[in-house]
Amino acid sequence: MKREITFTLNNEAVVVEVDPRWNLLYLLREVLELTGTKEGCGQGECGACTVIVDGEAVNSCLYPVMEAEGKVIETIEGLQRGGGLHPLQQSFIENNGVQCGYCTSGMIMSAKALLDKIPKPTEDQIRTSIAGNICRCTGYVQIVESIQKAAEKLSR
Amino acid sequence: MGEELLHIGKDFPRIAEINKVTGKAVFIDEYKRPGMLYGKILYSTHAHARIKSINTEKAKRLPGVRAVITGYDIPDVRVGFLQDQTVLKRDKVRQYRDEVAAVAAISPEIAEEALQLIEVEYEPLPAIFDPVEAMKPDAPLIHEFDARGRPIRTNILPLPWKFQEGDVEKARGESAWTVLDHVSTTWVNQCCMGTSGCVAEFDSNNNLTFVSLTNVIFGAINRIKAYLEKIGLKDRRIRVLNPEAVGGSFGTKLDTDIYEFICIQLALITRRPVKIRFTREEEFFALPPRQPARFTIEQGCDKEGRLTFRKVDALLDNGAYTSWGATTPSVMMLPISSLYVVPNVSFQATCVYTNNIYAQAMRGYGNPQASFAVETSMDHLAEVAGFDPAEFRLINRNLPNSTTPMKLKITTCPLKECIETVKEKIKWDEKRGKGKYRGVGMASLIHVAGGARVYLSDGTGIRIKVNEYGEVDVVSGSTDQGQGSPTVISQIVAEATGFRPEDVNIIMADTALGLWDAGTHASRHTFVSGNAAIRAGEQIKRQILELTVQYLPKIIQKTIKDKKRKDPEFKEPELDFTLIDKPDKMDIKNGFIFPKAQPDHPYFRIDAKEILRRALHVGTGQSKVVVAEAFYDPSTEMLNNEMKGNYSLTYAFGTAGVEVEVDIETGDVKILKLVSAHDVGRGINPTLIKGQIYGAVYQGVGYALKERLQVIEGKVVNGNFRDYKILTAKDTVPVEAVIVEDPDPAGPYGAKGIGEPGLVSIAPAVANAVYDAIGVRITDLPITPEKILLALKTKGG
Amino acid sequence: MLSFDYHKPTSLEEAIKLAGSLDNAKFIAGGTDVMVLLRQKKLSPKNLISLRNIRELNYVDTKAGLKIGANITHAMVADNDFIKERYTALAEASNVVGSQQIRNVATVVGNICNAAPSADTACPLLVFDAKVVIMGISGVRELSIDDFFFGPYKVAIKEGEIVKELVLPELRQHTGSAYIKHGRREALDLPILGVASMATVSFKGNESQIKEAFTKGYGLSKILECLEREGVAFDDARIAMCVMAPRPIRAKKAEEAIKGKMVSLSLLKDIGEIVESECQPRDSIRGEAWYRRHIVKILVNRTVVRSIQRAFIPDNMASINWIE
Repeated sequence: MKREITFTLNNEAVVVEVDPRWNLLYLLREVLELTGTKEGCGQGECGACTVIVDGEAVNSCLYPVMEAEGKVIETIEGLQRGGGLHPLQQSFIENNGVQCGYCTSGMIMSAKALLDKIPKPTEDQIRTSIAGNICRCTGYVQIVESIQKAAEKLSR
Repeated sequence: MGEELLHIGKDFPRIAEINKVTGKAVFIDEYKRPGMLYGKILYSTHAHARIKSINTEKAKRLPGVRAVITGYDIPDVRVGFLQDQTVLKRDKVRQYRDEVAAVAAISPEIAEEALQLIEVEYEPLPAIFDPVEAMKPDAPLIHEFDARGRPIRTNILPLPWKFQEGDVEKARGESAWTVLDHVSTTWVNQCCMGTSGCVAEFDSNNNLTFVSLTNVIFGAINRIKAYLEKIGLKDRRIRVLNPEAVGGSFGTKLDTDIYEFICIQLALITRRPVKIRFTREEEFFALPPRQPARFTIEQGCDKEGRLTFRKVDALLDNGAYTSWGATTPSVMMLPISSLYVVPNVSFQATCVYTNNIYAQAMRGYGNPQASFAVETSMDHLAEVAGFDPAEFRLINRNLPNSTTPMKLKITTCPLKECIETVKEKIKWDEKRGKGKYRGVGMASLIHVAGGARVYLSDGTGIRIKVNEYGEVDVVSGSTDQGQGSPTVISQIVAEATGFRPEDVNIIMADTALGLWDAGTHASRHTFVSGNAAIRAGEQIKRQILELTVQYLPKIIQKTIKDKKRKDPEFKEPELDFTLIDKPDKMDIKNGFIFPKAQPDHPYFRIDAKEILRRALHVGTGQSKVVVAEAFYDPSTEMLNNEMKGNYSLTYAFGTAGVEVEVDIETGDVKILKLVSAHDVGRGINPTLIKGQIYGAVYQGVGYALKERLQVIEGKVVNGNFRDYKILTAKDTVPVEAVIVEDPDPAGPYGAKGIGEPGLVSIAPAVANAVYDAIGVRITDLPITPEKILLALKTKGG
Repeated sequence: MLSFDYHKPTSLEEAIKLAGSLDNAKFIAGGTDVMVLLRQKKLSPKNLISLRNIRELNYVDTKAGLKIGANITHAMVADNDFIKERYTALAEASNVVGSQQIRNVATVVGNICNAAPSADTACPLLVFDAKVVIMGISGVRELSIDDFFFGPYKVAIKEGEIVKELVLPELRQHTGSAYIKHGRREALDLPILGVASMATVSFKGNESQIKEAFTKGYGLSKILECLEREGVAFDDARIAMCVMAPRPIRAKKAEEAIKGKMVSLSLLKDIGEIVESECQPRDSIRGEAWYRRHIVKILVNRTVVRSIQRAFIPDNMASINWIE
C-alpha cells in the first residue's frame, strides 16, 4: 500500500507517494528520475549511491524511503547553482577527478558532506570521508587533489 | 617536430565530460527506450550436470512477463572464440554461470520473480576444478563435441601456443647460472563500477540497434551478424553504439558476451526493446575475470650477467568455455620473448577445460601474469649470479631500434632512463638490503602501445568537419571507457587543424556514424586514432588554407573599400598579397589564419570563421564545406604460426619501484612509496596520463596484495565488494608517476599508449620489494599475509 | 520482496505496543543490516517498526559512567570527545565500522542486536562489561552484555522487546582500552578477527619514566622492559575477541591469569597462549583458523600495551613501533 511522504529535495519541497519497500535510491532514480545517483552494488558496499540527508552522507540504497519524511536531502543534481558548477564539480573536471564517472556523483556528495562540516580538512580526513566510495579508475589520487583544491577555493 | 606545439603536452581539462559531474551523463543504467522490457537470466546451480528438464509454465503465467526462453526455445547456435558455447544451454551445464533460461518482463522485479518460478531438474556429473586433473586421460570430459560436430577426446584445447627462438638447451648448458621458479596468478575481477548491460531493439525490418558497452563496436557487428545469420536472419543491418558514458571496462567489453546474445534473442521474440543489466552479484559471479596462469620459468645468464635463455611453460585453467582468456598467451609472449634482451627463448602454453569459470581479457591481457613470472625470475637470477637487481636489469635492457626474438621492432626505448629514474626516486642504493623489515624492489615492462594486430584490420577512421562557426566536429569509430580519449583526440585535432581543443566536439562509439575501428584495446587509442586524426586534421587545415587563398584577397579588398567609404582620408595600404597566395605560406593557430612570414599582419591575420562563412555562403553555386577523413591502419603484421611478427608499431617501456615495510608478526605489507616511470613517447595530456598511471597502480597493488576471486568447487564465494578486496581511498599508496618522453616518430606527435602499461610491472615490483624486506619470495599472487607468515615459518624453521 | 507496512512510533511505549500487536514485525534502526537482509530475501516481515523517530533514545549520558541510547550512531560515538578519551576502545571500534556513510546511520545498539560474530563494537562493550537495558511489555530488565550474546546472530531479546540503552560503568584511574580490527584493508571491511582490551594498572616506580617508554618509538619488548622496571602491574584486565567463536567472547581464563601480575614480556606471551586456548575459530572464506589463532596473540599484545599507554598518555603523544 502506498504512503505519501514530504521532504525537501535539492531545496525544493517534494510530495510523493511511495511504497514502503523502496529504498531512497529507488525513489530518486526510478520515480523522481534523478538518475545521477547510481546503484553500484545495492548493499552499501561501494558508495556510488551516496546522497546527503540532513547534512550527513548516507548510502541511499540502504535508506528506507519512509525515513525520508521531513528530511533535507541533497543529490548531485542539486549542486549546480543558477547554471554554474559547484566548486567541487568544477574541481573534479579541472583536476581529472573524473574518469569513467560512475563513482563521481557519490564521491562528490561524500566530499560535499565533509567540506560542509570541515572546510579545511586534512588529507586523512578527506580519505576517511571517501573511504566508502570505491573507485576503480583513478586510484583516488586526483580525486583527493580535486577535493583539496575545491576546499581551498571554498574557504577563500 | 621542432615547432612549438600549442595543445600537445597541455593539461586540457575534460570539459567535454561535464555531464559526469552534474549527474546528467547517461550510463546504460538509465538508458531507456519506449516500451522497453527488462531481461533477467537464470543461472545453473551446478558446476557440471545434465539438464533433465526445464519447466517454464509458472514463470510464463506471472503477470507482467512477456517471454520466457530456454535453450530448447531458440536455435542451438554456437558462439564464442572457439564456438564452444551456446547462448542458452541445452542438455548440459558446465559451470555455475551457465545460462539456462531467460525472462523478459515489464520490470526487473517481475523478471526476477519469474526466474524463481522456473523449475530445472539437474543430474549432477562428476566435476573437475583442477586443470592438472582435467588433463589426465580418465578425466570427465567437459565438452563432448567441437564446433564441427567432431567428438572431443580430451579437455586440452587445440590451441597452438608454442614459441621457439634459438636453442634453449644449448644456451642452458653454456650458462654460468640458471634458476627455476614456479609462479602462479589467480582470477581477479575487473570490478568496473558500472555493471554490464545492454539494450537490444529490432525495427520492423528486423534491423537491430544494439546499445552495448563494448569497446569493439565493429567487431561486435561481425559476431552479431554471424549469430543472426545462423538463426535465420540474413542481411540485416546492425547498429552498435555505446551509451553516453560507460562505467569502466578494463577488458570486460572486448568479446560479445552471452548476456548480449540473450538480450538480442529476447528483443527478437518480444518485438520490444529489451534491457539486461547485471547486478553487482552477477558482475562478480557471471562475468569472466582475468585469466589465471601457472608458470614454470627458467632463466640463465653468463658470467657477465647477460641473459642466455628463458624457458617458460604455462598452464591455463580455461574454465568451461573459451573467451579471450585463452588468447592471453599471445600477449604473454611479449614479456617472455622481449622483456630484456634474451637470445634463446622457448614458450608453450596449455589451456585446459575445467568446470571453473572461464576468463576473458583484463587490462594487460596476459602481460601482468607473465611479467610477474619473468620479473620474479629476473630478481632470483640476479641474486644467484651476484648482481644488484637494478644493475642486472640495466645490463640486459632493451635497446632502441632493435628487433626481439618475437620479431617485434622496438623503435624508441628509454628503458635505461626509466630504471635509473626509479632507482633514484625510490632511493634504491640507500634502501636496498638494509633489513629492519623494509625493502625496495623493482620491475620493468614492455607492452604494445600502438595496438596489437589481432584483427585483420587494425585501423581507425576519423572524419572531421568544420562549420562556418568554427565548430569542429569529429566523428570517430572508436570508443571510450573513461580514460579521457575525447579530450586527448580534441587536443590532437586542435593541433592538426589549427583550432582550439574547446572548439572540438567528438562523437564516438556509433557504427552508423563512424568509420571502422578495431576497438579500444591493446592501448591503441591514442596512437591509432591520434594518427588518423592528424591525417584528417592536416587535410582540414589544407582545405581551409586553400579557401583562404581563394577568398582572403576579396575579403581584404572589401574591408579596405568599406574603410575608405567611412573615412575618405583613409590611406590604402600597400599590401604584399604574395604572402597569402599559396596555402603553404599560411598557417592556422587557435582558429586564426595568418601568413607565416608575418603572423601579426594587420590585414592578413583573420578569424577562420570568416573564411568558412565566405566559402559557404557564396551565392553562385560555388558553396564549399570543409570536411575530411582518414583511415589509418598501422603497417604492422599479424603473428605468424610461429607466434612471431611485429604486431604493433610501437612498444611502451616502463619501470616501477616500490618500497615496502612488512609487519612480520602479522604478515601485512605496507607500501611506503611507489614510483612508476613510463615511456609514453610524448605526453599529449600529462594530467590524464597520470590519471591512468595512478589508477593502474592501485589495480596493480590490489593484484599484488589483496585481490582474488575465491572460487571453491567452481563457485565464486566472495562475489561482493565486502569480501573482494579492492583498495579504498584509505588504503593509501604514496605514488609518484613519472612521465618519460622520448618521442616515437611513428606516434601522433610522438605519443605512445598508456592504458595498460601502468598495471603490468606493479605486482612483481611489490613481490621483489617484499623479498628485499624479509628474504621470502612469494611466487603466487596475491601476496597475502598468510602466505608471508607460512613462508617465514618455513624459512625460520 | 513481499509487501510490508512501515511504522514510525515516536515513543518507546508506542513502539513496544506496536511490537506486541502487529503480526510478523521486525524492528529497524539505522537499517544498514535490515535493508541488506531484505534485499537478500533473508527477511520477509509484514511490518517494520522504525526506532529512528523515538527521540528519547537519542542521548549520550556521561554523568556517571556512560549511557548510550539506542539511536546513537557509530559516527556520534566515534566523534564524542568523552568516549574517545575515556572509553577509547568503543570510539575506536565505532570509528572503523564500514564507511562514513554506514557510520552516519548505523547504531551501536543495532550493531550488537544483529549479533554478527564480527560486530566491531561487541568487543569493547564486553571489556567494559556493559549492561544492556531492555524494555518490553512486561517492563524493564537488565542484562550483562556477556549474557546478551548467546550464539551467532542470536541475542537474548524476546519478541517485542527493545534495547533502550547500553550502560557502561565508571572507569577507575589509570585505565586505558584499545580495539584492533584486523582486516585486509582500511575501510569497508568486516574484521577477520577483532580484539579489545582494557587494562587498569598500578605502578611502583616513576610515572614519567612510564610515559616516556611510550614516546620513543620503541617496540613491544622494549616497552615492556621499561614497564617491568617501573613495577607496573595489572590491577584488572579484560580481553574480548570477535570472530574467534560463534559469538563475541571474553577471554576469562586469560583475565584471571593476568590479574594482579607484573607487566612483562613473558606474561604477555603466556596470556596470548591462554587467549588462544579459549577461542574456537573456524575456517571461513575470510580467513582460516590457524591464521586467526596466530593473529589473536599479536592483537592481545598490541591492545594490552596500547591500553596501558592510554592509561598514562594520549595517542597523539605516543610513538610505538610494532615492527622491531
